[in-house]
Amino acid sequence: MEAAPRALRVAIADDALLLREGIAKVLADGGLEVVASVGTGTELLEVAARGGLDAAVLDIRMPPSHRDEGIVALEQMRANGSTIGVLLLSMYATPEYALRVMSAGSGTGYLLKERVSEPQTLVRAVETVAGGGSVVDPEVVEQLVQRTRADDPLSRLTERERSVLELMAQGYSNGGIAQSLFLGLKTVETHVRSILQKLDLEESPEHHRRVLAVLTLLGAR
Amino acid sequence: MAPGRRGRIIKRSIVIGLVVAASLAMEISGFLATPESDRREVSWTTLHAIVPLVFAACAGVAWAIGPSRLPARLMVVFPLVWVPLSFLRVIEDLAWLWPFVYGLHLWWAVLTGILVLVYPRGWLVDRVDRWIAGIALVGSLGYLLGVLLLLGEPAAGVCDCAPNPYRIIEAPALFAIIDIGYRIVGVVLAIVIAGRLLVRWVRGSVPARTVAFLMPIALIAWVITLAAQAITYAAAGTTDLVLDTVSLVAIASIPISFVAGISHARNMRARVADLMRITREGADRGLWAESLARTLRDASVRVFWWDDEHGRYADAAGQVLDDDDAGRRGDHGLLPVASPTGVPIALIRHDRVLTDNMRLLDGVSSALRLSVDNGRLRSEIERTLEQVRQSRSRIVEAGDDARRRIERDLHDGAQQHLVSLGMRLRLAANQARDRGVEPLAVELDGTIGMLNEALRELRELAQGIHPSLLSSGGLALAVPELAGRCPVPVEIEVQPGGRLPEVVESTAYFVVSEALANIAKHAQATRGWVRAAVDGGALELVVRDNGIGGASVEAGTGMLGIIDRVEAVGGRLVVESPEGSGTTITVRIPLESETLAG
Repeated sequence: MEAAPRALRVAIADDALLLREGIAKVLADGGLEVVASVGTGTELLEVAARGGLDAAVLDIRMPPSHRDEGIVALEQMRANGSTIGVLLLSMYATPEYALRVMSAGSGTGYLLKERVSEPQTLVRAVETVAGGGSVVDPEVVEQLVQRTRADDPLSRLTERERSVLELMAQGYSNGGIAQSLFLGLKTVETHVRSILQKLDLEESPEHHRRVLAVLTLLGAR
Repeated sequence: MAPGRRGRIIKRSIVIGLVVAASLAMEISGFLATPESDRREVSWTTLHAIVPLVFAACAGVAWAIGPSRLPARLMVVFPLVWVPLSFLRVIEDLAWLWPFVYGLHLWWAVLTGILVLVYPRGWLVDRVDRWIAGIALVGSLGYLLGVLLLLGEPAAGVCDCAPNPYRIIEAPALFAIIDIGYRIVGVVLAIVIAGRLLVRWVRGSVPARTVAFLMPIALIAWVITLAAQAITYAAAGTTDLVLDTVSLVAIASIPISFVAGISHARNMRARVADLMRITREGADRGLWAESLARTLRDASVRVFWWDDEHGRYADAAGQVLDDDDAGRRGDHGLLPVASPTGVPIALIRHDRVLTDNMRLLDGVSSALRLSVDNGRLRSEIERTLEQVRQSRSRIVEAGDDARRRIERDLHDGAQQHLVSLGMRLRLAANQARDRGVEPLAVELDGTIGMLNEALRELRELAQGIHPSLLSSGGLALAVPELAGRCPVPVEIEVQPGGRLPEVVESTAYFVVSEALANIAKHAQATRGWVRAAVDGGALELVVRDNGIGGASVEAGTGMLGIIDRVEAVGGRLVVESPEGSGTTITVRIPLESETLAG
């Protein structure tokens, strides 16, 4: 990730005060500016409407119904034309939610809550979504890959291609994948082309579309 | 039972045979002993001999079907006292015997009268009836005594009897008074009996008359001839052939009427069996009264049901039994029917004539009692069942609620705490690293790892208690998630019908979860299918696989669990699992039983 010219302005929404403060501290330690910290999706929408935000970190389950208020807030923001990065935190790794988050558009992410004990992961995820990229928790990807399917397109991939795909789904750029897997950029590009070809996906340079396409494919049944 | 019954029949046949033999012996020996000039016509004698045979035959029938043993006994004794006067000639020399035989020779009329009185119930019910029978018996005993003590020899031309050894005084005039008085009393009693029978018959309803028309006709014919005979006897001491013949036919028709009437009543009892059948089919009150009227052939029958609320009787149309109805006891009888515990059920107002057939009414009231008891039990069971159904559904809901609450408590409590704890540990580890206390940092890293492992386990536990995805995303999200975890590839088709009532969703989730677990464990399938669609006010779930089949409700406890859960919310489950052709579980869960908000 390229370093931002100024600190990213972030708002946090979580009904658990303890976590809210913890996240704020982690993000602040990571060099981000936490401008608001609220307890519900509605309050976050108000903060977002005031403008000046680069990203928002939302708990999925919040009052009043403790169901999917976070995602609803995300969809509301997108409907309002807001394109800020939105990272959703969830206690459970649920592929169905990840797909819904991705479907809301680019600049979205879905992470397990326990990632807050990995400050770098959290900060990097916020930066990614703020930059219009997409983030999906590795555990979700793992679940999707483990899922059994009647017609498994993954069976067409080689072991190496599968590793590349998992990182693609997590929102890594080709460069990031190359770094993670200790491969040359050219090699990664070859793998990506091969994967997209094998999975009958149209190649798209855009991060989000890549991720969404992969997830949709994995999740499609 | 059978041997006893056979023995009884044999015994009765022997008795009837002996009686018939004795009767014929008296008749024939008397006829032969009479000088040709004094003999009565052969035709009359034959008819006279047939009368006791008819009684004996009817006794056999009455024994089999009679309301009691009394009628049959009366009928079987009848031939023995049906003594032809000509028989006196046979025993005219037996001075010790003939006065007794002569004194008894009119007793057949007493037996016949009592037989009429006990019709159709088999015993003397009425006080008037008992009086009549008592007078007849006392009178007959008086006559016997008169014959023994006063009679020198029977009327002229009857026999050349030896002198009566029992006679104490010679008083022919006194005996003549006793003789004629006895006959007059007999005729009067017969007229009273006939009159009572006639009145009862006329006052009876039209259907009731068909039951009993034979008896009054026979009796009236007999009484008329008897009266005529008595008059001629008193006037001239002779008999008339035509009157005699009519009299014999009338007497012979009395036991026939008796048996015919009883058998008619038995047919009515058979119709009570029909009533039982109607009862079993659970007829309503209106239909019941109608069937009862048909069964009893008495259109005037009305059934008044006990109304516990108002403490009174009212018919199906709601008309209350008034004092008028109750008071008209003259032509109608009232039969109260109560439950075994004494709680009144109903009052049947019926034709008075039916009272004569207590067994029939017993059958009717039993049928009614059964019907009401059945109905009460049925509604009681239905009510209990409904309560059980509701409480079962409530238990399931309460269980669901509890699970949801526990999951949420875990989510908002323990899980959040552990997550923030992990975060703080991370901060601590970072600080330790910053301050160069590497071993502590490593130790904290390890702790964080363990904490995350604990979180993972807790997460799975919470999901097992209640899938949060189901609460938030409904079946459309939760079912694919379930299918994804199944090792067998599963094709899913969940119609997005919006959110369903919570209890329906959780039941459906449970069904799919268990069914998929069965597929994974037992079916040896390579593919599975799950389809969920809302159709006609119910959620229809179909879980199918291409495995070995042979699953049954009895075999697997898993299936039983599914059934319990589905039925608890009023749903139905069908399992088709032919050996070797996969298993299909079809479940329908009604939506409207619960309309929980949220």
